[in-house]
Amino acid sequence: MTAISAVLIVVSLVVVSTTIGLLFRARQGRVTHRGVETIVKAQDVPGVERFAAGATLVQFSTKVCAPCRATHTVLEAAASEYANVSHVDIDLTQRPDIAKRFRVMQTPTTLILDSKGRVRARIGGAPRPASVRAEIDRILAT
Amino acid sequence: MSSHQQSSKPSLAVKPGQTGIDPRGPRFGAGITAVLLLIVIALTLLTPTGTTTLARASEPGFVLFAVITVLFGWGAIAGIQRHPYGAIFRALVRPRLSLPTELEDPIPPTFSQGVGFVITVAGFTLHLLGVPYGLLITASAAFVAAFLNSVFGYCLGCQIYLVLVRTGILGHSAATGY
Repeated sequence: MTAISAVLIVVSLVVVSTTIGLLFRARQGRVTHRGVETIVKAQDVPGVERFAAGATLVQFSTKVCAPCRATHTVLEAAASEYANVSHVDIDLTQRPDIAKRFRVMQTPTTLILDSKGRVRARIGGAPRPASVRAEIDRILAT
Repeated sequence: MSSHQQSSKPSLAVKPGQTGIDPRGPRFGAGITAVLLLIVIALTLLTPTGTTTLARASEPGFVLFAVITVLFGWGAIAGIQRHPYGAIFRALVRPRLSLPTELEDPIPPTFSQGVGFVITVAGFTLHLLGVPYGLLITASAAFVAAFLNSVFGYCLGCQIYLVLVRTGILGHSAATGY
């Protein structure tokens, strides 16, 4: 192979990887409102007896997921700003059944539930603090 | 691998008394790995593939790839804290940076080293066996993962781990042996 072809292949590899990275970054923390009618029972969520009066942030993590740690801090901080919002972090390693039931395809994934356990928002990847607060405020206003 | 992460609480944050690492360290290391893998790919493209195992084993791209494989194995077995790139980071890079805003658990990047090791061992074996493009394809896959990790903070290990948990290969039945 000529040097020029080799350089072209190497450059294309970098370009393709950068494109994938930019797409990944754009999707990170995106909030979706699909499946808002789904109602989660409190007893189906480990570590929760009943949902908080305002909202419950349900985070799905695994122990090998670095962004999950940062997300834990972000959600914990957001929950502590409100008197009636709680945060629970579920390790899917212990509960693969939950990963299947909630169709978790990436970690972290966050569900924001209202007091009745209705899924009001779903965030794939590391959430942005501002969008978490916006979703909480929207739930509290209804 | 120890099971000290096991606890009844679902929390996954770094626990008090547990040593966290600077999250920029593994990303710095992934950057070096990505550059070295690009060199492997370029060298492999420019060198005709040998017809004997010995000839293939002595190709410059393969030799560099073998070094990368050993380093992944080192990180996976000894832990990310004992990786040589971590030592370079602490000696040369960290003193020039501001303090990290948060520390990270060493388990995720150590698992990622294991993923890198599996991919590179596959490439290593395929090339020695003379499988066409075996080295190029695995080096390219490892490059994409290392590049995305370094530049964008993407964690391929997290995705693979989740898939293994969902398929039941890892998880509650094998909670101490991941």
